Amino acid sequence: MFGGTGCHCLRDRQSLWEYLCDFWIYSSYKPDGVKGDMDSIRREVLGFYSKLGCNVIDESHDQDTTDLHKCVSHICNLTPESEKPNLCILVTGALGGRFDHEAGNINVLYCFSNIRIILLSDDCLIQVLPITHHHKIHIQSSVVGPHCGLIPVGMPSCHSTTSGLKWNLTNTEMKFGGLVSTSNMITEDTVTVQSDSDLLWTVSIKSGDRTWFTQS
Amino acid sequence: MEVMKMHHSTAFLLPSIPLEPLTYALVVLNQRLPRFTPLLWNHCLAAKLRVCADGGANRLYDEMPQFFSQQDPLHIRHRYKPDVIKGDMDSIREEVLNFYAKLGCDAIDESNDQDTTDLHKCISHISNLTPDVEKSNLCVLVTGALGGRFDHEAGNINVICRFSSMRIILLSDDCLIQVLPKTHHHQIHIQSSVVGPHCGLIPIGMPSKKSTTTGLKWNLTDTEMKFGGLVSTSNIVTGDTVTVQSDSDLLWTISIKSGNHDVTAEPIPQHEITR
Repeated sequence: MFGGTGCHCLRDRQSLWEYLCDFWIYSSYKPDGVKGDMDSIRREVLGFYSKLGCNVIDESHDQDTTDLHKCVSHICNLTPESEKPNLCILVTGALGGRFDHEAGNINVLYCFSNIRIILLSDDCLIQVLPITHHHKIHIQSSVVGPHCGLIPVGMPSCHSTTSGLKWNLTNTEMKFGGLVSTSNMITEDTVTVQSDSDLLWTVSIKSGDRTWFTQS
Repeated sequence: MEVMKMHHSTAFLLPSIPLEPLTYALVVLNQRLPRFTPLLWNHCLAAKLRVCADGGANRLYDEMPQFFSQQDPLHIRHRYKPDVIKGDMDSIREEVLNFYAKLGCDAIDESNDQDTTDLHKCISHISNLTPDVEKSNLCVLVTGALGGRFDHEAGNINVICRFSSMRIILLSDDCLIQVLPKTHHHQIHIQSSVVGPHCGLIPIGMPSKKSTTTGLKWNLTDTEMKFGGLVSTSNIVTGDTVTVQSDSDLLWTISIKSGNHDVTAEPIPQHEITR
């Protein structure tokens, strides 16, 4: 009907009404930028979003950084320094699948440890708690918890201290091959963490009724 | 002092049982079974070495028959029964526990031990059953350790770091992970019909000052690796053998190819297996 790109054709037995509903959804949720080495995006998808005005940035020449790293760099470059402490980047699709991808995405959190970046899946979220700060994590228990963990991914931690957990740490050493805080439980509305090492914080996301997200 | 070599292969993903000295054990955790689970099961020929961790028994019961849709589910459940079910028993369904108990499975309730994960308990169990002289030939295959909650995944990776002197391979539909201990020079034989080419080396828990590899598209040469800096991911295997040596325990990961796993082939019955 609109021509130019394959995805504007009616599917078999699709009514005009169904087509218009699909199109409304596709164009309501369009990205501002599409960035990376462009070896996975389908041609009709690229064509569709280009026509809607998305900025397409091909960085296939840069094989040294992951797609997530490129996207986080892009967002950081667009953000004035004074606004960076208030910036929070939410990332979907970084977990699960190939483990080397997952590890590469976690490494991006460590490379940008001064920026709030949260990796999200259906089951949980992950973020880095940098050693430069004492952390207060406010728990919205209707949507997250109670399962949680603190993980010394890059480096052992000689001293970590927490409050608000079932098994709190008190200047406790954590390292791979020894103690790592997993299958822990949140017991209060606020969890506090301080450590001599960058820790990965993870908390489970509650399953259940997600229809609220379809309301505008 | 001469550094010892350690050889690795993914022959357990091939349909035929290769002639090699390794003894396989299997641990099933509580996530969706990879599509090649029947193949892994067939490789674990030694008695008493197929262990379900708690809710892993539900997965075996529910999902194994799905790989053999033309066959009677009850027949499949009898054929693929675990030797042991171990853990805190808070996930396994009562009817599943009763079903396997009636078939002679040992159910070991360890709900009193809250300090170790279900995987840790299963690995300890297998390790205790294995004479020291046979431990270097033992390879423990684990399904269900990856994906899902990240704290579970991290806890499972920590188990393989704690038991770094044992061969333990965590498997999912997409990839496998194992520890390459710093005590050895590693030779990884690549069966390219079933694994690769995507791979990675990850300095989990500790930076590595010097790692050296061969057989990769982007090799390391006394290269430093650490989180917040360089971590070898999205690398590519270029030949039949990858070598790795490092001053630090590294996690090796390689992708598993989709398709190509003929899990519906009839397994060789126990009495026809010569050992």
